[in-house]
Amino acid sequence: MIRKTGVKRTWLAATVLAVGSLIATSLPAHAETGVTGSEIKLGITLPLTGAASPGYNKIGNAMNAYFKYVNDNGGVYGRKVTLIQKNDEYSPQLSIAKTNELILKDKVFALVGPLGTANFTSVHKSVGIAKRGVPSLFLNTGFSGFANKKTYPTSFMILPSYAMEAKIISQFIKENHAGKKLGIVYQNDEFGIDGMGAFKAAGIKFDVSVPYTSGTQSAATAQTWVSQLAAGGAQVVVFFGVTSATAPLLAVAAGAKYSPQWILGSVGADPLTLRALGVPLAVLNGAQTPAGNPSPNDTSDEYVKQFQEINTKYNAGTAFDDYVLQGMNIGLMTVQGLRAAGPNPTRKGLIKAMETKGSTFASVAYSPLGYSQTSNVGHTGYYMAVMDANGDRKPFGGKVKLYTTDSGSGPVVVSTFKRPAMPAKGLPSNS
Amino acid sequence: MRKKIAFFIFLGWILLLIGDRVDELRVYQGAQIAMYTIALASIVLLTGYSGQVSLGNGAMMAVGGYSAALTLNNLGSPVWVAFLMAIVASALFGAFLGTAAARLSGPYLAGTTLALAVGLPEIANQFNFLGGVPGLLFDVGFPPERLGEEFTQYKWFFWIASFIALLALFITSNILQSRYGRTWRAIRSSPLAAELSGINSSRMKILAFTISSALAGLAGAVMAMTISLVAPGAYTLTLSFALVTGAVLAGVSSLPGVVFGALILVAIPEVADVVATRFGGGENLNNYLPTLIVSVLLILSVIFTPNGPGEKLRRHHHKKKI
Repeated sequence: MIRKTGVKRTWLAATVLAVGSLIATSLPAHAETGVTGSEIKLGITLPLTGAASPGYNKIGNAMNAYFKYVNDNGGVYGRKVTLIQKNDEYSPQLSIAKTNELILKDKVFALVGPLGTANFTSVHKSVGIAKRGVPSLFLNTGFSGFANKKTYPTSFMILPSYAMEAKIISQFIKENHAGKKLGIVYQNDEFGIDGMGAFKAAGIKFDVSVPYTSGTQSAATAQTWVSQLAAGGAQVVVFFGVTSATAPLLAVAAGAKYSPQWILGSVGADPLTLRALGVPLAVLNGAQTPAGNPSPNDTSDEYVKQFQEINTKYNAGTAFDDYVLQGMNIGLMTVQGLRAAGPNPTRKGLIKAMETKGSTFASVAYSPLGYSQTSNVGHTGYYMAVMDANGDRKPFGGKVKLYTTDSGSGPVVVSTFKRPAMPAKGLPSNS
Repeated sequence: MRKKIAFFIFLGWILLLIGDRVDELRVYQGAQIAMYTIALASIVLLTGYSGQVSLGNGAMMAVGGYSAALTLNNLGSPVWVAFLMAIVASALFGAFLGTAAARLSGPYLAGTTLALAVGLPEIANQFNFLGGVPGLLFDVGFPPERLGEEFTQYKWFFWIASFIALLALFITSNILQSRYGRTWRAIRSSPLAAELSGINSSRMKILAFTISSALAGLAGAVMAMTISLVAPGAYTLTLSFALVTGAVLAGVSSLPGVVFGALILVAIPEVADVVATRFGGGENLNNYLPTLIVSVLLILSVIFTPNGPGEKLRRHHHKKKI
């Protein structure tokens, strides 16, 4: 009895001490979360390591580079912008844990550019993003479900939806590949299914359809995809997945001397990353892809030129590609959002600013932004591009033909929209 | 018994008070501590009492988590039914596994359960109805409105997890103090002597495996609630090893110690964060350091206190009192 009491006391003391220390380190919340007189704290979850990381792991550093550039030039109303990156390895449960850290521990003002459809779906539900009123700007996913303003009132997309992309590819196929045998390889989750629904609605019927589970992409699985596509005689193959799956698909197909006309979805079509992952230039040559932004090599573009300069100075050693361009652009749009929220930003104020002024923000992408009080849709269109022998991307047909559409049953139309000019020196001055 | 009930009610009241006074991060961690407490209790029962070494408790948790999610999502049942299904399904799975386990011992049993921990969660990748890599959502819903606007989702998780953990500890403690607990200890000390005393050790081992699995499955469902998700990546081999480490640190045959073991497991990522920040290791180090800490703690514990620091502490007290 004495022994038992002694042991119990020791456990009790140890437990009380441990609980006490956890409580003692808790701090009460202050004013507007994540904003002090000198700093605005933002957070992002993305895969810095793991199978899906190639390419995506550059986005956070690119955003950081842009923020450093802005900070060195006076910040946002005198406050420096700090970005905390959390590595979720593209795993939904890690995304939840890391977003919890960002919101509850690091106490960020807003999430910016969180990546992955399944990831953000889980995070939004589990962490209670909407209920907490945490702004989630420029989601790095095109899942059209996120355009539901009722479910995602504090979230804002940036990419055109996968449904829009599929509709535009469908239009392109009808215009340029009519009558050919069609194949598709797609990621079998919200990402791919979103696109598949739109292909079907647009009247595109695939002769060979190969779904794959996210995370299972490898040379071995690509072997089975290629076998199915080749056996089905697919002459035009659409790929709707991430870059780490595009690479084995193209490499294995090249090895098997299977060379259909590739149409690579925008998510998995960065030439530089594909080459880094071992895809031969010759295979990329002629591949077609929907693109929202200009080529990262197009130095005649004012956005690209400015971002390249920033990358050289603040992100030294990192090759400038689509992902870096996307990261910098998210940085640019974030700063415009923060400025639009005023000198004393609040979370509610930021969301309101996005709704009322977001559609006028400068962005590298050619298509219009769809933000309004009833819409959290980002960019709304693509042009079709083709890769050349140098691994560069050029507009199909020689010049940009911009298609815009919606995620529903609206038509695909050719747009004459002119994007806003890059702010002077890449530093927004909006309010 | 009355005293014990009063003690657990008092403990519940203390937890409610703590839940009201700490910030949301600590409340969330409180729910995790409750989850680990249940999971570690399953190891104490299985290893500490019946002497069967299992490295596959993460897999048992996966069975519970997926059962709960499938019940909730497909049958639209109340949450408590989902938790109940987690217990039933994992108990049945445990009984099946226990039948095989009763024929094995030592490294063979450890190896078998290890293989289960590696393979079982990956099965989910192969079947669409299990959600693949992204997994299945497990949504227990918002807290009741009568609890007020300020009552957060995580506090709701904390309440549910704490209630379940207290109930599980109360029941487990009673089982361990009953003749079953004494029988398991007899089998662990000397299987031959136990058999000679008329104990059917195989049956008792299967029973231990069944109850332990039920507890682990319940912990798996609680984990699913705290992350609103069941996915293969949540029930990894790392989790199984973390549970073993937590149990060893707590003293593998000490039920009160599981709370301390759970606290350590929740504190490890915090420590890793501090270390990673201190040494400028950044986010990549932060992701891998907790696993490293768990491994180092397990190795150190096995070298210096083979039965765990908790057990050593208990012996130290015992000697002192004598």
